[in-house]
Amino acid sequence: MDRIGEFLPFMLEGSVMTVKVFVLTLVLSLPLGLPLALGSNSRFKPLSFLCKVYVWIFRGTPLMLQLWFFYFFFPFNLNITLNAFSTAILTYVLNYAAYFAEIYRGGINSIDRGQYEAAHALGLSKKQTMMDIILPQTMKATLPPVVNEAITLVKDTALVSSIAVVDLMKATNSAVNRMTSLTPFFYAAIIYLIMTFVLTLVAGRLEKYFSRYDAKEEW
Amino acid sequence: MEREVILEMKNIVKRYGDFTAVDNVNFSMKKGEIVAVIGPSGSGKSTLLRCINGLNSITSGKMILKGTTGMVFQHFNLFPHMKCIDNITYAPIKVKKEPRNEAVKKAERLLKLVGLENKAQVYPAQISGGQKQRIAIARALAMDPDLMLFDEPTSALDPEITGEVLNVMKKLAENHTTMIVVTHEMGFAKEVADRVIFMDNGVIVEEGTPSEIFDTPKSPRLISFLGSMLRA
Repeated sequence: MDRIGEFLPFMLEGSVMTVKVFVLTLVLSLPLGLPLALGSNSRFKPLSFLCKVYVWIFRGTPLMLQLWFFYFFFPFNLNITLNAFSTAILTYVLNYAAYFAEIYRGGINSIDRGQYEAAHALGLSKKQTMMDIILPQTMKATLPPVVNEAITLVKDTALVSSIAVVDLMKATNSAVNRMTSLTPFFYAAIIYLIMTFVLTLVAGRLEKYFSRYDAKEEW
Repeated sequence: MEREVILEMKNIVKRYGDFTAVDNVNFSMKKGEIVAVIGPSGSGKSTLLRCINGLNSITSGKMILKGTTGMVFQHFNLFPHMKCIDNITYAPIKVKKEPRNEAVKKAERLLKLVGLENKAQVYPAQISGGQKQRIAIARALAMDPDLMLFDEPTSALDPEITGEVLNVMKKLAENHTTMIVVTHEMGFAKEVADRVIFMDNGVIVEEGTPSEIFDTPKSPRLISFLGSMLRA
């Protein structure tokens, strides 16, 4: 245990990378899911078909496979050098956007038709209806599945270690090999648990905020 | 003085596949007029109303509408994520580009009209059905429509609270608001409407003043409909 100083700083550095992958992926894929969801719901068949095929591919194949595919695809097929970190972010954003799109679509489809009718009767544009009437109402219902995905993402970040990004998992692995001790695994588990715990706390706050217009009394 | 015609519908047909919901209806309305549309469920009254503001497209026929419409729905359809006052001011601000302070002032006046000035800052989930419908009426009025459409505004309410909504509508009638009311409230139709239309199977079967329709109904279908309403 007194050797903790030897590997912990290295693991914390790896944690910073893990957080970076997590935050960047979330910040980019959360908004990207929206046009995909709206596209899937579109009455313009070719667009809706394309979006559905996209979701099918990215949800239907392993994230690891996608990661390795892009890792080799850019340098060898397009002659573009993309470092491992950028490849990871690109893959994760494309993958997670597909999941978020499906969550949003479910949320949008759960809104009562009467809301659209009221918006139409008041002369709102389609964009105003979607942005100001429909989407704000989907927030509360979509929050739990979105948080679920975010927690999965924390753990999925560990896959980046397979393409030479030094994240918490990679750092832990090297520590275990170097120290010939399993202790770093326990520390890594604790660090991952802290990350998901913080996420759960944030989710709780958000949930409270989004239920502010729920009935305080039953009628 | 002859009042201006605000709505003219000629040979209006609305079909859903093989089903004809509205079958060759001719109908016109003057400014300030109050028309009640009655008839059994599925007779096409709501469909006709929804053709007027474009919620339903017309299969064939011609419609001329001079001015704008506002609509009150059976299930209120208030925006649950907005406070009552924001429900009322949203469309005037966003659609008509009214300055916020003017929209708020107008909303406060309308809240007073419907008797809910103390509910401005609460969310729809916190008020009763009758209060929701009164907010919905205020919301529709805030757009200053030339014609108000009411689609069974009291059908989703408990009988003991329909009165508060009907009273608001009576107030509008006294202010000469032009309105079409699809309703099962025969008392309201009798008391408030200038003209009553009886629809069945997508056609206007009989049309006349309240006393013509309720006191001296001619068609057997209207007579049996009124009989069934009395028994209910």
